[in-house]
Amino acid sequence: MAKPLVRIAAVQLGFALVIVAILARAAQLQLFQGERWGEQARRQRTERAVLPARRGGLFDRNGVPLAVSQEFYHVGIAPNELTDVGSTGRLISRQLGIPWSVLSRDLRAGKRWVYYHGPFSATQVQSLRRVSGIHLSQDYQRFYPSRLLARPIIGGLSAERESGAAGLELSLDSILTGAPGEAVLLKDRAGRRYDSPARVIREPVAGNDVVLTIDAELQEIAERGLDDALSRMDADGGDVVFLDPNTGELLALASRQSAGRSGYTASRASTFTDPFEPGSTAKLFTAAALLIHQRVDSSDRVFAEGGTWHMPITSSGITRVITDAHKTTGTLTLAQTIQVSSNIGIAKFSSRLAPEEQFEMLRDFGFGTLTGAEFPSESRGRLARPDKWQPMYTRASLAMGYEFGVTPVQLAVAYGAIANNGMLLTPTLVREIRSPQGDLLYRHHPEPVRQVVPPSVAAKLREYLKGAAGEGGTGEEAQLVNYTLLGKTGTAVRFENGRYVRGEYTASFAALFPADDPQLVVIVKIDNPQGKYYGGLTAAPVTRTMLQQALASRRVAIDRSRFADVDTGAAPEAQTSSTAATMARLVLSWPYSTPKVNRAVRLVPEVEGRPVREAALLLHRQGFRVTLRGLGRVSKTAPAAGDTAAPGTTVVVWAD
Amino acid sequence: MLLWLLVFLGGALIVVGRQTAAFKTARQLRDLRETRGSLEARRAELERRIRVASSREVLVPAARRGLGLHEPADSEFVLFAVPSPAAGVSR
Repeated sequence: MAKPLVRIAAVQLGFALVIVAILARAAQLQLFQGERWGEQARRQRTERAVLPARRGGLFDRNGVPLAVSQEFYHVGIAPNELTDVGSTGRLISRQLGIPWSVLSRDLRAGKRWVYYHGPFSATQVQSLRRVSGIHLSQDYQRFYPSRLLARPIIGGLSAERESGAAGLELSLDSILTGAPGEAVLLKDRAGRRYDSPARVIREPVAGNDVVLTIDAELQEIAERGLDDALSRMDADGGDVVFLDPNTGELLALASRQSAGRSGYTASRASTFTDPFEPGSTAKLFTAAALLIHQRVDSSDRVFAEGGTWHMPITSSGITRVITDAHKTTGTLTLAQTIQVSSNIGIAKFSSRLAPEEQFEMLRDFGFGTLTGAEFPSESRGRLARPDKWQPMYTRASLAMGYEFGVTPVQLAVAYGAIANNGMLLTPTLVREIRSPQGDLLYRHHPEPVRQVVPPSVAAKLREYLKGAAGEGGTGEEAQLVNYTLLGKTGTAVRFENGRYVRGEYTASFAALFPADDPQLVVIVKIDNPQGKYYGGLTAAPVTRTMLQQALASRRVAIDRSRFADVDTGAAPEAQTSSTAATMARLVLSWPYSTPKVNRAVRLVPEVEGRPVREAALLLHRQGFRVTLRGLGRVSKTAPAAGDTAAPGTTVVVWAD
Repeated sequence: MLLWLLVFLGGALIVVGRQTAAFKTARQLRDLRETRGSLEARRAELERRIRVASSREVLVPAARRGLGLHEPADSEFVLFAVPSPAAGVSR
């Protein structure tokens, strides 16, 4: 037995060793492994979560939402956590619209977790939030409030993740996509998550909103007009384009393709993607080349050959037969050639041009190249270089609108240049880009590409168009009663899979409206109409109907103050025309002597801080239209104070 | 010693109180966010229904059927140009 002192010393040593061991272990845990254990503890107590960012919305030019992202939910149910499967199940069934028989079977199947992808709206899940055993996961879902309106242009998102897959959703993806945030959620011992006061590490940043140039009302007029026309004509498809020639803004783009017995679908934006041979609507571009190079004057005439001409195409005597639908005897000036759409006349006139001159003119009008619009899968059309031409043959073909392909948008842009005094503008679909807070990041201004023809030549071409759409012209059917439009018809044999299809035609009409101060370029194209197939009898009346509807609608972006110079005296005479039969019994003439309206752009007044009523009054007095976003005092406007805008422009007013 | 204990207890109570209040506020904030989300979803749905109901696709056939109206030709309406104040309209 050891002495007590030795035993005490041994115990003390033991304690000391234990203390040293504890200290050593503590030092090891704290100093050397501290970070690892700290991280593990954090992982057990907290969970990092990605906070989804809202994708920016797409709106029409008046603020009508076309594509927006909304909160949606997926629902998970842990049956063993439900306090009362019967009553809770019925609540779930009622709120989510899941048949009780299905839900009941799922809940009683012995599964530990039942998942319904939905997606379910916030309204649907609101009363389920506090129910024990129901777990919600939030997400954003793309939502197209106007259903199918302009869908081929707007496009859509990929199925896997919320990123653009087609159309503007694809081309504007980087602008629309936001930056996801990050948060830390605290967990209790059972793994249940609850909010911590300082949970958000990084707030999600929503994507930017894009205001398109599309006018939803005009888009609907175009789509309905096209649908009606295609059904009536039993056609294979068609396109309509409305363009503002002064700004290059595309106001409406409608496309339809035949879906067999089930009618028509809008499966692709053929206004951008499908080139067609324009036929006689292209005669104007050869006329432009002739005028620019001074190869023709107003008194020059060519013999019309009575409607059939054997055009020599080689020196060995091989000929090509060119015919006119409107058999003309005698001779034709260039203006008359355009008016009656004579293939023979334009083929003869085109022989005065060198191939390079003709090619350059078409190229300058934008054919064979991308227009530069924001659409992702635009076709550049088809235009061969002169060294690939069969000299005599191709020159005549191009003059008649064959052997080259244009998209409806390209044609609209080219006619826009004629309306815009010869200046070709880049077409656009984007009017404004705004931050999630509403700040203006970008506003479209007209982007000139080139001066294709001098203003004097453009004016001459508009004169030709006036003749073509006037009395005796092929586009007469497009004329309205009180307003004059300019236009050119086109009828071309369809070119498909590398060959011309006998008996099938593409009918088209290109119009500028109104004649004196064009605000709209309208392109209507009908693929393979049955029965009557001339552009003047198919596409031209469709143009008239759509313009009438646009004029009658107060929501369509037409500056009616610019119609002040309309010659109202024309109305009584016009009432006796062929359209009189379609008129109502009471026809109003123009009883009102319109004052001269100042057409100059105006300054948007400063209305920030004012009550909305006062601001709206002030804006109305300046000639603007007003769309309100909120009530109270004005926080900002778009266009912003100090910017200039044409009278009739819609000013969006945000108020808090 | 007792004083230090009281100070410690007081400090601890303040921390606990602040934490509790913060959790309560976080919960209220979450509830408000959920309510806002729900209301926004409701608003979006109502706006969509209004837009569909006021679209030409619905209105034009209804007006034609119910009221015997038709889409007017341009000869059937008149555009009045309202004189601007600058044109000399006095009250």
